[in-house]
Amino acid sequence: MKKSSEKTEKLKLNAAKFLKIIPERLKKIKDASSEEIKALRSYKPNLLAAELHPQIQHTTVAEIKKLTDDVTLYTLKADGGRLAPFGAGSYISVFAEHNGVSFSRPYSIASSPGASADGVYEIAVKRKDDGFFSKLIHDSFAVGTKVDVSAPAGDFTYEPLRDAKRVICIAGGSGITPFRSMILSILDGTEDFELTLLYGAKRESEILFKDELTAAAEKDGCVKVVFVLSDEEKDGAEHGFIGAELIKKYAPEGVYSVFVCGPQAMYRYLEGELPKLGIAGKYIRKEVFGQISDPCGEPDYVKPEKEEFELTVRQGAGEKHIKCAYNETLLSAMERSGIAAPSRCRSGVCGFCHSKLVSGECYTPGRCDGRREADKLYGYIHPCSAFPLSDMIIDVPYKN
Amino acid sequence: MRYDYDVIVVGAGNGGLAAASKLTAAGLRVVLLEKHNLPGGVASSFVRGRFEFEASLHELCDVGTKEEPLSVRRLFTDLGSKEDFINEKNLFRTIVTGENGYDVTLAAGWDNFRQSLLKVCPESEKSLDRLGALLDKTTEALAYNDRKKGRPNKLVMLLKYGKFLISASHSLDDVLRSLGFSYRARMILETYWSYLGVPADELNAFHYFEMVRGYINGGAGIPLHKSYGLSLSLAETIIKNGGDIRYNTEVTRFIYDENKRVTGVCTKDDEYYAKEVISNVIPHNVFGMSGKGNVAEKDKKLLNARRFGLSFICIYLGLDKSADALGIKDYSVFIAQNASSRRQAETEMGMYVVNCINVAVPEATPEGTCSLFFTIPVFTNKTMKGVTADNYKKFKSDTAAAYIENYEKVLGVNIREHIEEISVATPVTFANYFGAPNGTAYGYELSGWDGVMARILSTGNELNIKGLTFCGGHGAKGDGYGVSYVTGIEAAEAVISRLTGKNDEEKQ
Ligand SMILES: Cc1cc2nc3c(=O)[nH]c(=O)nc-3n(C[C@H](O)[C@H](O)[C@H](O)COP(=O)(O)OP(=O)(O)OC[C@H]3O[C@@H](n4cnc5c(N)ncnc54)[C@H](O)[C@@H]3O)c2cc1C
Ligand code: FES
Repeated sequence: MKKSSEKTEKLKLNAAKFLKIIPERLKKIKDASSEEIKALRSYKPNLLAAELHPQIQHTTVAEIKKLTDDVTLYTLKADGGRLAPFGAGSYISVFAEHNGVSFSRPYSIASSPGASADGVYEIAVKRKDDGFFSKLIHDSFAVGTKVDVSAPAGDFTYEPLRDAKRVICIAGGSGITPFRSMILSILDGTEDFELTLLYGAKRESEILFKDELTAAAEKDGCVKVVFVLSDEEKDGAEHGFIGAELIKKYAPEGVYSVFVCGPQAMYRYLEGELPKLGIAGKYIRKEVFGQISDPCGEPDYVKPEKEEFELTVRQGAGEKHIKCAYNETLLSAMERSGIAAPSRCRSGVCGFCHSKLVSGECYTPGRCDGRREADKLYGYIHPCSAFPLSDMIIDVPYKN
Repeated sequence: MRYDYDVIVVGAGNGGLAAASKLTAAGLRVVLLEKHNLPGGVASSFVRGRFEFEASLHELCDVGTKEEPLSVRRLFTDLGSKEDFINEKNLFRTIVTGENGYDVTLAAGWDNFRQSLLKVCPESEKSLDRLGALLDKTTEALAYNDRKKGRPNKLVMLLKYGKFLISASHSLDDVLRSLGFSYRARMILETYWSYLGVPADELNAFHYFEMVRGYINGGAGIPLHKSYGLSLSLAETIIKNGGDIRYNTEVTRFIYDENKRVTGVCTKDDEYYAKEVISNVIPHNVFGMSGKGNVAEKDKKLLNARRFGLSFICIYLGLDKSADALGIKDYSVFIAQNASSRRQAETEMGMYVVNCINVAVPEATPEGTCSLFFTIPVFTNKTMKGVTADNYKKFKSDTAAAYIENYEKVLGVNIREHIEEISVATPVTFANYFGAPNGTAYGYELSGWDGVMARILSTGNELNIKGLTFCGGHGAKGDGYGVSYVTGIEAAEAVISRLTGKNDEEKQ
């Protein structure tokens, strides 16, 4: 191949070269191999894509361990081979069937990214008495149960270019799960940052992974663990709620990041506390909220006059008419009626449930409105975070 | 024969969306099948925190203004899209850091463009005149070729469009030399080469001029609601016209009859039959879904002879300060160590482009913030060497760190401390979302024998599968945003004329 010449003298070109274009092309084609077109997986980027983002992963429950009265740790083992790797802090959608309909909920992967190479993910599930899916898991998962999970997803991971080298992690209840994964990945050298965990619980008996976390802090200078108990006083633990004062007490000198994962009540409390730290907004990161159970608490929500609406769901060539209460999400209403609608984060941010609003009106709380500008312009909604304000017709894609 | 639809369009990328819009406007019954849950393919955006990032588009050429619309703007208006564009006044700033480097900004509009080049290369006056004349001649010749449906009379071409043939059969660099441009002027003019993915000593000159003409005349056109707004606006057209769009619906097989005519497609759960199928999916993947014996030997050879076009690593940064406050003034900056495109292609970090959308569309991100979009062409598999699923996250992070550091050094700005959101896409991302073989973003490489002129002259003789028409960036006209819409329109027009018999000459 000739290099661009530094010469500046004019070059004489020949129009007849045009006549050679086709013969040259035909020769190239004639000389080429006539074997079958190679499979996509033979290309490295495609193979990596399949390894990193499998559409579905088949696993079996290999071990079940009760962590507290209402939280259980499930070890999921790949049915052959490895599971997709992930950044510590990611979540998976866990699928389970109920009355012949497939449901899913997001769960943070509590195990280390390294274990995925051995085909292992762990999830810790808190049973909620008024819940549905968490009970379904607790009641139906046994050793040997087949469980499908999605590829890992989410953005609640440490990113050295964005986050400070020192991170205060604030966990509440089962919100410890992503941080356990981060701590494990610091221990095994996959991640390189300093993590101080402030872990809030009502009492000591509700702390998940207590001994393990204590041991991790003793083993690795990059990990510090502080338990914060609101309902009892114990030696070696802080007493009260996690607020600005406590964070400052454990905060390092200079810049630091704050990561938060916990129940919605904790987010609400911290909303007033975190600004007191005086750190730039970019250093505060929260795991997504999860499903909002009731829109009534939202500042800009105006409760509609009717309490129940007619929801027409078009899917492919079919159409179904269902009821949707004012305080349940369109996604929940569809699922309750046995409509298989796509979902993943169920928090409004991943766009997996992206659907078209054909007619009617709905409300999406601003704090979980992850839609694009053009979505709003052209009437697209995320049913996982939308509540009806009138009768509606929506066009929902099939579940992939 | 079972017909569920008049036409099945496979893939809702730019080509598929344009095709389905056009077909439904003509009153045909159309279903558009898309494996992803959104329309647009790469013409998309994504949200991280308070930022919405443009996924792929730098700018569209040939947009023009509302008052004087050019082809791309007209295309959208014709299809019923109401999306608007902002015209950026500069084409680009190009910085070469190495020996004999330069830092030059070229303006849009022929007169301004000319002035801005003359300022740094005053010797280019005559050459610029010749370039102008050549661009005009190219337009005429192209119109003639289009009239002849890609089968021009070779003698007429030689006699009447000799100048055009020169640019059609020589490399960009050769043609610029023949016009008498100095080395520096040539290197500056060749800056855009990476958008077509072939170094200037191999890139078909005519193809490049086609693009550059569109940028100079129309300025860089940036859609107000990102490329995703364009995609949704076309989806809207299709729905309004009565077409069906099925998302999350991946085609797994093309159905052929005993005459090797495509009669439909299979998905995981369904079969769809139609009189015609248009594929926005790259021929490689279609062949992979066609079963043995259905595609012609010579077409298989054609695909095996081809190389995939380049892919990209893209870094998306949401910054917690405004562009002004950070000292970012350019919409588009091309940064290279060496002026020569060949050297750029052969070296790691040889060249990359950084766009700041806020310079053109200030409200593209929340007040007091801005976003940067790094585009790094990936020419060889070397870049991805040693990358495994397990170290992929680190690879992305390390790559981003290196480019951000370089950008800060070259521009003398500090962005590292202001990164609020970051996302990195790689060839793996393209492979994941679009099933693009080898993660190519540009279809097939437009090198030498497979350059755009060779392809245009061969349309009609290649990939001639009954009942199946291709559209998209892998087609004859090459990759590129505007072009991919045009290929969709052309595919639709061919199908419409076959189905409605309006143009007998075109019937198969
Ligand atoms: C990123 C992320 C990570 C998470 N990680 C964890 C984790 O590590 N551990 C953990 O414990 N939790 C985690 N969660 C929360 C988890 O996803 C579930 O929300 C949680 O288990 C609550 O389940 P539930 O049973 O209380 O509520 P749900 O199952 O959500 O029950 C309430 C909902 O179910 C619907 N419903 C009720 N009955 C039925 C029925 N018969 N048919 C259909 N629908 C019905 C209701 O309408 C209502 O919308 C995470 C959430 C997110 C977003
Ligand atoms: S499921 Fe993620 S946005 Fe609705």
